[in-house]
Amino acid sequence: MSRFERKILFAIGLSVFLTLGGSVFLAQGALREVYRVGVNERFGAELVHGVEARRAQLMALRSGSEQVADSVQAAVEAELAKSRSTSGLTAVMRVLLERYDVVQGIRITDDEGQEVASVSREDDPPAGALRTSTRDREADAGGRKLRIAVEVAVPEVYFERLQEAGEVADVYSRLQRQSASVSEVYIWVFGVLVFLVIVVAFLIGAIVSRRVTRRVTALAEASRQVGAGDLTVTLPTGATDEVTELTQAFNDMVRDLRDSRTRIEYLQRISAWQDFARRLAHEIKNPLTPIQLAAQELDETYDGADEAYRKKLENARAIIEEEVATLRRLVGEFSAFAKLPRADLAPADLCELIQSIEGSVPAILEDVGRGSPAPVEVQVSCATEPIHVRMDPMMLKRAVDNILRNAIQAVYEAKPSGGGHVLVRVYATDDSGFIEVRDDGPGIARENWDRVFDPYYTSRAEGTGLGLAIVKKVVLEHGGEVMLDRASEGGARFSIELPLMESR
Amino acid sequence: MRYWLAAALLLVTAVAYAQSHLPAREVGVFWSRGAPRVSFSARDLADERVRQELTSGLRKRLVVTVESHLKSSNRRVTVRQFGCDVTSDLWDDGYLIRIGSQSERLKTVEQAIDRCLVVRGLFVGEPASYEAHKGKEIYFFVRAEFNPISKKQCSELVRPTAGSDPIGPITVNIVRRRICQAERTIQFRSEYLEVPE
Repeated sequence: MSRFERKILFAIGLSVFLTLGGSVFLAQGALREVYRVGVNERFGAELVHGVEARRAQLMALRSGSEQVADSVQAAVEAELAKSRSTSGLTAVMRVLLERYDVVQGIRITDDEGQEVASVSREDDPPAGALRTSTRDREADAGGRKLRIAVEVAVPEVYFERLQEAGEVADVYSRLQRQSASVSEVYIWVFGVLVFLVIVVAFLIGAIVSRRVTRRVTALAEASRQVGAGDLTVTLPTGATDEVTELTQAFNDMVRDLRDSRTRIEYLQRISAWQDFARRLAHEIKNPLTPIQLAAQELDETYDGADEAYRKKLENARAIIEEEVATLRRLVGEFSAFAKLPRADLAPADLCELIQSIEGSVPAILEDVGRGSPAPVEVQVSCATEPIHVRMDPMMLKRAVDNILRNAIQAVYEAKPSGGGHVLVRVYATDDSGFIEVRDDGPGIARENWDRVFDPYYTSRAEGTGLGLAIVKKVVLEHGGEVMLDRASEGGARFSIELPLMESR
Repeated sequence: MRYWLAAALLLVTAVAYAQSHLPAREVGVFWSRGAPRVSFSARDLADERVRQELTSGLRKRLVVTVESHLKSSNRRVTVRQFGCDVTSDLWDDGYLIRIGSQSERLKTVEQAIDRCLVVRGLFVGEPASYEAHKGKEIYFFVRAEFNPISKKQCSELVRPTAGSDPIGPITVNIVRRRICQAERTIQFRSEYLEVPE
């Protein structure tokens, strides 16, 4: 794990755990208050009062039933005292049954258990609807004791309601008693849930941040590689975010560095070759004149009669003069290459340059055709608008001349009787101006594309291998690039790219 | 492997510790056709407050749970539980006792306590439960509770509806467990005894 990644994870962890701490701290008070509001003592007290009231109601009913039993006893005793017989008891008891709803029946028995009188309600209540009980009393009937059993009843629903109220009050009092611990449960559950959410958020954050940090780490590693001199590094770009933009900028920077280094290396190599060419020209040029003069003198001063020897001398002189002429041409070219000046850049229009090149086409055709114009059709075209670049017109013209000459020569050698074409086109894109030279000649083999710009590399017997090296040197000094590939016509396609003075 | 051994050792130690700290009490056991019948008293559950509550006219519940366990093991062989609802009758003197579907009326609170907390010859498990443990040492664990609220009743009283949120039921379950626990609990175990061959 990189330090950057550790820092990001630490930041995520810090922020989420601060959130957790803050949430739990704030929720703690809030939950306690909510619980206190919901489960407060007053509600509890009211519930207990409700239970007490129901109990008191039942106790009052019970007390009332005792009083009713006393009233029944008094009425029975009064009847016995009045009539001195038990015959009228039934009627009195019916009146009592009518008067007291709580009474379900009255039964009077003597001391031997024999029933004297009894009344009961005719309508039977549903089973379990009433809770019944018997209130026993005694009455004195002229010396013998009568037992009065008063059956009293109260609706069962009163007891059920008491039980229900009691259960609710019981649970409520438990809630009150457990108030603190229940709040704690809520806080713990809340805390655990928040913790789980935070762990998940942390993991997601870690995964997401790892994707970013991995790219940043790769960028740092690539920077170290570039610092160590490896300019082949290229980082992949996929997503569309700031890191991708950074990666893209890094890739562009590395590419520019790579191009600059290639350019500098090439120019250094060319410079070394120029130095070599200068020395070579100097060393070869000096003895050429004495060699030629010596050959001439040998030929002219022979006055012997040997015709065969004279013939040999003349042949030798001709060969020497021809080879010396070739060497002079090579020395001239080497010398010209060695003295190739640095490009002196100034704003100019590429189209104007190409027009001047168009003017020199007949001369090139004549030169390639060795006296008569080579039968090659050359087309030159340019954009209607000026294409301003910084250039040294003379140097750049020379470079384009070289490419054009090579193209004409290649087409002419392939099609000496005519039918060959060379196209010179100048155009511009947003950032660059282009000079393109295409032909329908045999083209250049793919494996030689990297070498054609090296000095002294040539595929022609008479070539010096300096033409394209000069082209590349000139183009590089213009801050541009020269590229070679296959033309759509089948031949070679050279393209010189030069930076525009102002982007379009 | 070492971790499993350590965990097993820790568990055995914890069980042994818990068993040794559980008060042992005289529990009469006699075996009848391969099953134990136990007799014991848990009357001490009914302290002054419990007695007072029993006379309140509200229905109160006394629950006795008897479990048989293998010695030095947390493994339960079998369990027997019975509940006893006691309601002092406000309309008439006496106490209504309900055990299962049977009801009876007793005159005093002491009779009610005896009926519910003094256990005589209670079968704990079937003979088949002890078949595999013949010759092994077991003990009986007794828990007597005053007024626990049953799970069903508790659910009905504390947030009867589940709610639409996924988290609420978790919290409510924890709260229910706390709120509906017994108001008073005693627990003890018997001495160790051997399952007869």
